[in-house]
Amino acid sequence: MKNNIFNILKKELRETFRDKKSLAMMLVIPLFIPLIVIGMSALFETQLDVEITDYNKIGFAYHLDDTERTIAASMDLNIKEGSEEEMKKLREEGEIYLYITKENNRYTIVSTDSESSTYARSLMQAYFESYKRVLQENYLDEENINPNDVLDIITVDLKQEATDDSYFASYMQNYAFLFIIMAITVSATYPSTDTTAGEKERGTLETLLTFPIKSKDIIIGKFLGVSISSIITGLISLLLAIGSLKIANGMFSIYEGINIGYSFASIVVAILIIITFSLFVSGLCIAIASKSKTFKEAQSALTPLNFITFFPGMIVFMIGVSPSTWLSLVPFLNYSIIFTDVLNGAIKYLDIFLMLASTIIYITVVLTYIIKAYKSEKVLF
Amino acid sequence: MIKVENVSKKFIKNKNKREKEEFYADKNITFEAKEGEIVGILGPNGAGKTTLLRMTAGILEPTEGTIEYDELNYKKNELEIKRSIAYLSGNTKLYDTLSTYELLKMCANMYGVPKEKIEKRIEEISKILNLDGFIHNKIAKLSTGQTQRANIARCLIHDPKYYILDEATTGLDIISSQIILDFIKDEKSKGKTILYSTHYMEEAENICDHVIMINKGVIIESGTPKEIKTRTKTTNLRDAFFQIIGGQNNEE
Repeated sequence: MKNNIFNILKKELRETFRDKKSLAMMLVIPLFIPLIVIGMSALFETQLDVEITDYNKIGFAYHLDDTERTIAASMDLNIKEGSEEEMKKLREEGEIYLYITKENNRYTIVSTDSESSTYARSLMQAYFESYKRVLQENYLDEENINPNDVLDIITVDLKQEATDDSYFASYMQNYAFLFIIMAITVSATYPSTDTTAGEKERGTLETLLTFPIKSKDIIIGKFLGVSISSIITGLISLLLAIGSLKIANGMFSIYEGINIGYSFASIVVAILIIITFSLFVSGLCIAIASKSKTFKEAQSALTPLNFITFFPGMIVFMIGVSPSTWLSLVPFLNYSIIFTDVLNGAIKYLDIFLMLASTIIYITVVLTYIIKAYKSEKVLF
Repeated sequence: MIKVENVSKKFIKNKNKREKEEFYADKNITFEAKEGEIVGILGPNGAGKTTLLRMTAGILEPTEGTIEYDELNYKKNELEIKRSIAYLSGNTKLYDTLSTYELLKMCANMYGVPKEKIEKRIEEISKILNLDGFIHNKIAKLSTGQTQRANIARCLIHDPKYYILDEATTGLDIISSQIILDFIKDEKSKGKTILYSTHYMEEAENICDHVIMINKGVIIESGTPKEIKTRTKTTNLRDAFFQIIGGQNNEE
C-alpha cells in the first residue's frame, strides 16, 4: 500500500515539476509578496510625507501680529494674508486648504471636509493652542503671577506606544501573512485541477484506474502531491514575507518603533500552520475539482475558494477580532488569525492544538468523500 | 479463462432538467474466452462494446452478473486479477510529460514487477517493439505510431495473461494499425487470452477465433467467424451482421 501511494506521489510530483504552469503557480505567486510589502510600505510613507509638507498652506483674512507670525514660522506654516474674499478664492483654487477670519477676539477656521483640510485643521488647532498660551502667559506676567503656577497646575505626559506610523507597519505585517494563505490556495488550485479534471479530460484517468491500486491509494498519492507543492509555495512565501518585512523595516520610517524579528518558536509554529493549511486546502481543492469534467469547469468551480480563504482574514483584521477557542475551530478564519498572532509574538498552544485537531477531522471527511467518488464510475464521466 | 455471466450495466441519464431515465448499455451478456483464444466483440458505435470491456477490465462495476478470471470472482479478487490484465483502448492516453522509459518504469512499479527485473523487462520490450530510437523522448513529442508502440509496451511490461483491447486500431493509419494487429497475433501465439472489440468486421474476421456480435446492448450472434457466415449464408461478417440486425438503425 505504501509503495502504491509512493508510486502515485512520484508520478504526481514529476508531472507538477515538469509542467510550466504548475511551476509558475508554485514559484511565481510568492514573488508578489515582497512586491506588495515594499510597494505598499512606500505608498504609505509617501502619504505620510504629504501630510507634513503639503497641508500647511493656510490663509489669514486679517493681518497677523508679531506673536502670530513667530508661531506660524516656528510651525513652518505657509501663510497667505488678504481679505476674506481673496482667501475664499485662494481656497477654491487650491492654493490654501483653509483660512481664518477674526472678529474682535473670536477666530473662525473656515474649511471644507476634504482630507487635506482635515490635516490643516489639526495643524491650526495646535497653532491656536500655542497662541492662546502666549497670550495667557503675557497676561499673567502683567499681573505678576508666575504663568507656570497657573497654566501648568497639572502635568500630563503622553506615552505613545503605538504611533500612527506603527499602525501602518502592523497592518503591512498582517497583510503579508494573509497573502501567504492566499498564495497557498492559488498554488493548490492548479495541480489539483490538473490531477483530477485534467487527467479525466486528457484520458489518462482510465489508464490509472486499470492499475492494481486501491482508489484510496490513488487519492492519498494525489493529495500528497498537491499538498507538497502548496507547502513549497507556503514556505517560499514565508521566507519572502519575513525577508521583505525586514528590508522594509530598515527602509521606511513607517516601521519606526517596530523591531521586526521572529523567534525560533514563532517560525516553527508558522511552518506548522503552513503545512496544516496546505493539507486542508489541497484536500478541498481536489474534492471540488474531482466533481468537474473539464479543466475549465474545475477552475471555475475553484475560483470562489480563493476569495473564501482571503476574505475572512481580511475582515478579521479590519474589525479587529482576536483569537478565541471557538474561532480556532472555524476553518479559514482560524489559520489567518493564529498565523498573524504567532508572527506577532503570541503563541497560544490550546488554540493551535484545536486548529490542528479540527483540521485533521476536516481533512479526513474530505478525503473520505473523494475516495468514495473515485470508487464510483461517475468519476470517469 | 475469462467467464462473463449474465452481465448487465444500467446507467441513469438526464432526460431533461427534472427527469432522469434509466437505460441498459449491456443486458444479460454471457460468454467465455479460453486460454490462447482471441474473442472479438463486434458491433456498431453505441452497441455497448466499450461498457462491456470496461466492466471486464474492472473500470466499471456491473449492475448485475458476474465476471470470473480462472474461476476467481472479479469483485472479490480485484487487485489480484488487475495484475494479470492489460487494457488498451483507442481512447487510452499516456502521460505526455513522461518519456517512454519513465512510463514503463512507472507502470512496472504500479503492477508490482520486482525492482531487479524492471530494467531487464524494459530492455526486452524495447527490442521487441523497436523503441530504442525514442525511448528517452517525451511522449508528447512522439509520432502517432511511436505513441502506439509506447502504449503496447505499457501493456506488455507486467507480462499479463489477459489483454482487453477496445477499438485499439480505431483512427490509426494502416502502419500503426498493423503494429497492433501483429502484437495481438504474437501474444496469442504465447497462449494469452485476448478480448478484442472493433467495428471493423474484416479485421475481426482475420484475427478472431470466436466472435460475439452486440447490438443495442444485447448479444445478437456468437460463434466462430465460419459458423456465423454459414448460419447467415453470407461470405463475410459485415454482410452477416446486416442480415442479423435486418437493417435496424442503432441510434433509434
